[in-house]
Amino acid sequence: MIRPVLARRERVVPATQAAGFVLGVVVALILGAILLWVSDHSPAEVYERMFDSAFKGTDSLSRTLERATPLALTGLSVAVAGSMGLWNIGAEGQMMAGAIVATGVAMIADGLSGPLLIALMMASGVVGGMALMIGPALARSHLRVSEIITTLMLVYVAIRVVEWLETGPWKDPESFGFAVIEPVPEQAALPGLFGRANIGMLIALGLLLVFWLAVSRTAWGYELRLAGSSPDTARYAGVSLRRKVLTALLLSGGIAGLAGAVQLTGSAVRLESGLSNGYGFAGIIVAALALMRPSGVAVVAFVFGAVQVGGQSIQTLGVSSAIADILQAMILFGALVAVVFFNYRIQWSGPGGESSIAESGEPDLAGEVA
Amino acid sequence: MASTDADYAVWLRGIEKRFPGVIACAGADLRVRPGTIHALLGENGAGKTTMVSVLSGVYRPDGGEVWVNGQRRFFQSPADAIAAGVGMVYQEFRLVPTLTVAENIVLGAAPGLLRSAEIEERVAELSAAYGMAADPTRPVWQLSMGERQRVEILKALWRNASVLVMDEPTAVLTPGEAAELGLTLKAMAEDGRSIIYISHKLDQVVAFCDEATVLRQGKTVATVDNLDDVDLSSLAEMMVGSSGGGYVQRPPALEAGPEVLALQGISALNDRGLPALADINMTVHSGEIVGIVGVSGNGQKELAEVVTGLRRPSQGRVTFKEQDVTEASPADRYRLGLAYVPEDRIGVGLAPKMSVVDNAVVRSYRSQRRGLMLVMAKCVQFCQDLVERFGVRAGRLHDPVAGLSGGNLQRLLLGRELAEQPAVLVAAQPTRGLDVQGVAAIQSHLADQRADGVGILLISEDLDELLALSDRLLVMFEGRVVAEYGPDVTPRTVIGEAMAGQVRA
Repeated sequence: MIRPVLARRERVVPATQAAGFVLGVVVALILGAILLWVSDHSPAEVYERMFDSAFKGTDSLSRTLERATPLALTGLSVAVAGSMGLWNIGAEGQMMAGAIVATGVAMIADGLSGPLLIALMMASGVVGGMALMIGPALARSHLRVSEIITTLMLVYVAIRVVEWLETGPWKDPESFGFAVIEPVPEQAALPGLFGRANIGMLIALGLLLVFWLAVSRTAWGYELRLAGSSPDTARYAGVSLRRKVLTALLLSGGIAGLAGAVQLTGSAVRLESGLSNGYGFAGIIVAALALMRPSGVAVVAFVFGAVQVGGQSIQTLGVSSAIADILQAMILFGALVAVVFFNYRIQWSGPGGESSIAESGEPDLAGEVA
Repeated sequence: MASTDADYAVWLRGIEKRFPGVIACAGADLRVRPGTIHALLGENGAGKTTMVSVLSGVYRPDGGEVWVNGQRRFFQSPADAIAAGVGMVYQEFRLVPTLTVAENIVLGAAPGLLRSAEIEERVAELSAAYGMAADPTRPVWQLSMGERQRVEILKALWRNASVLVMDEPTAVLTPGEAAELGLTLKAMAEDGRSIIYISHKLDQVVAFCDEATVLRQGKTVATVDNLDDVDLSSLAEMMVGSSGGGYVQRPPALEAGPEVLALQGISALNDRGLPALADINMTVHSGEIVGIVGVSGNGQKELAEVVTGLRRPSQGRVTFKEQDVTEASPADRYRLGLAYVPEDRIGVGLAPKMSVVDNAVVRSYRSQRRGLMLVMAKCVQFCQDLVERFGVRAGRLHDPVAGLSGGNLQRLLLGRELAEQPAVLVAAQPTRGLDVQGVAAIQSHLADQRADGVGILLISEDLDELLALSDRLLVMFEGRVVAEYGPDVTPRTVIGEAMAGQVRA
């Protein structure tokens, strides 16, 4: 019997990755077209609208970038932990924690000038995200408690705290009885760039650049990569695994917290329980699609943002929100499948595994001949 | 042909299996007659696990044939092998702790809708048949290791295994449990089933098994049709024996240099928390190769780890260049001049997914810094120098190191450890799994380092290699150094006996 088997690629070249990515999205679009067609919509019209609303003109582009900003930050947050083989599932909660601390600081320091207040709120966002991560990070580094579970559970804690603040201590007395928190001071709004894009985008881009440099060009990043890819080798080289786990997770939390502060001062008006809006969870997809690389995070966040903007816009064509959601999910799923083929290829195996002779002989030959 | 094939319960014929950088099996054979307990012997890396993985459908061989009960088989998965009657009991048990014994046994092989009472009854019958006491209603987490192993065996029997593979079955058992296991296996053999028994414990092999196959470097080097005919020491000798492995003539003895490494009263535990080293005393002098020989699992690995700082001794002192380093970290010891080529090249010595350059600087990246930055140009230069000096055929330096062949991986690793002129080199199985050229290259590097005054602790399972290179040869048995031989040629049989724990005065 002949069966398909996934065989790991010996070398992953960037060209294969790009091609796989495009192919995955194209296949998803074709499947999506069938879906649209059976639900009585013109695929061409819908896709044109999606494309235009995400990319055509500065206003459309700015919407995409506005969406991409928090996605890039949460994606980076997950990727920093991911480069150590750790999963921060709780960026959603750390965003909230960052936004809570930033709001609290803004309430106390609302007399400060704009730039100063913004800087202070960003810093408090980082502190908030880190604070929510301290427990999971220590539990992971010292007791080997799975960070996947602990970070996820704290998401709900953070959201409930916001709900409590809304209805309790931070309830705005001038809100005519509505359970809302008072808006952040006007001078704390992030300066706009064009359309709906603001400098939050530059913060995200800058941070991606800093991390790319730190991971690929510093001794610290080298140790991080070593510890993530081969823990025993790291120990042998004298790298403290415990400390690396701790720093990677705290940084991951801090970046997610910063995403919360950026969202608070950039797009939202006030702290509310819907502030994180799923960006933290979406960051996991962004990081996975980007193979945990900062450079990939930038590209994937942009595409993801565009898909979200496009998905919303087609509802004005009468496409139901359910179909729009399915369409978005298909595109992301297509890209995810493509990621599998970055690392694996299909191999048709016959009886006796004859085909695998050449297969496993390959690296040996390559090593000896080269 | 079919008539002879049918005589064997298992016939693995000319099995070949290659992995990136390693040849695990190079045409190995294994023939097991029905109703026998067959010992599969060989040092770590000899290909035993690969052979049984081929038999149990985990790996597909690159070449060779698999015959089970007279039929040629092409297993695509472990499920195929189970269906053909091959059962596997792994060293690490694969049981669900919260389920009961009966539930674990029928998991994945439940015969349609059966009441659990009925299943429990049938499990009880099965366990009684081979004298294996096991209460089918108890959850597995309550069981001792010996009982869990019985559940694994019952699992295989439930699936009608006619061939049962046991990987190091007594490693987790108390002596009493081990003896009971022996009786169970004998009962199963009498019932016509065949058992393949993998173990390093030669005394148990001789006690339990009827016949044996010895593998070395992926090939079958000996078959013993009746284990009553051979003694322990000749088995030990077969396992490590002649591979034609010494390619380098030992250079003439040098003036003994100063003592550079000393162990005093070292005791240590293994990963399971059991005693692995007991009161080891030894020294290595500058310009000397001290060879360590023994059947694997007698403390060699732990010894290397204690010397290099990856394992804390429970007692004793490690002195390096007259400095107490018992508490020093692996990196600190390296900085002092203690280099290490670990037994696990990939995973400890090298990070397989990282690039050749990244792996070249594992020891020295701290000196390739400028401020916070790691100067890539310096790293590449360092790597380039290594590659040239040690003749590593490395292809692209920024590709993952896992793409290199075994010999080139080891050249890179050895080169990296020697790059900063160490005073002592600990080399564990430095030539295992390499091709002839690779072995010769590594051995001549070791001889050159000795001539340059490096003290070398060479841990190997290749007796020829040790006899060719060592100035002194220490034999380890059950965590102790039981014999020491000088540079004069010692009969292999004497060394074999010492390896089996029988030291001649």
